[in-house]
Amino acid sequence: MQKQELKQGIKDSIPIILGYIPLGIAFGLLANKVGMSVIQATLMSVLCFTGAGQYIAIGIMQAGGAVFTIVLANVLVNLRYLLFSTSMVPYLKGKVPTAAGTLLSYGLTDETYAVAMNRYQNHAPTASYMAGLNLSSHVGWIASTLLGALLGSYAGNTDRLGLGFALPAMYICLLVFMIKRKSDVLVALSSALFCLLIGYLVPATMGNLFNIIIATVAGASLGVLIGERD
Amino acid sequence: MSGTSIWIMIIGVSVVSILPRVLPVALFSRYEFPGLLKRWLSYVAPSVLGGLTALSVLAPDGVIDISVYNRHIWAFVPTLLIAVKTRSLFYSLLAGIVAMALLYNFV
Repeated sequence: MQKQELKQGIKDSIPIILGYIPLGIAFGLLANKVGMSVIQATLMSVLCFTGAGQYIAIGIMQAGGAVFTIVLANVLVNLRYLLFSTSMVPYLKGKVPTAAGTLLSYGLTDETYAVAMNRYQNHAPTASYMAGLNLSSHVGWIASTLLGALLGSYAGNTDRLGLGFALPAMYICLLVFMIKRKSDVLVALSSALFCLLIGYLVPATMGNLFNIIIATVAGASLGVLIGERD
Repeated sequence: MSGTSIWIMIIGVSVVSILPRVLPVALFSRYEFPGLLKRWLSYVAPSVLGGLTALSVLAPDGVIDISVYNRHIWAFVPTLLIAVKTRSLFYSLLAGIVAMALLYNFV
């Protein structure tokens, strides 16, 4: 275990946790409202590290939907991680042992993915860094869920604090950092456009984030076509 | 939904949220991707971030809202400027959160 790398991972998870606080609290509150106990809500965040998927579960429960529907919706929501995880493999290979990499990949989310890929552009990945980043982000998610479930209806409106913009701000900043090649700009812009267009034409894909998957595949393919050869 | 159904739901969601993340790392780590696929994968991150940024700013509540009433668009401007100028996640985040808090409370 490299202490410095672990510390860096934990440090890099702070902005993620900041963004998770309002989302986790809101999840805890809503879970409470649809009849989940504090233990169930908290354990769901321990076992299922999938914000969008958990919100969808609550929505379907509220509408009186079946367990099967919830699981199926979550297959769709989490499908994008197949793509994220695969794109990380070339970076992890030879640097992080397969067993450790596999275990720690459970902490892969949109946010930890963006932060980690940003770091791996200049630093070799290590299991310690992954552990610091992914585990503390997960702990942040679990703790804010617990807080929300405990607060029940006492919680105020966290929007007033501007925390609702923490994650968008992080995406904007990491996108700026991520731009290395001219083709990266075109890829990001076209993916953004695809995403909105698909979401506009097929609104259902907004809820399950399927538009992100299609837009990512289209954007990356465009990158290969127009990109500079290295 | 009964207590038992809730537990079954939690286990089910857990399985389908774990598998897509861990399977690629578990299966492909011994495998060398061909050059073209590697180039394609190198565009996945900028592509994902382009999509996530667009959705989180232009459709903050899951519905596309490109209007002057969307506070996220206004908060986007100082955040982008600070990100480009300082290249610091901390200052960009601070700019975004403060901008959003001001917009929320005073506009």
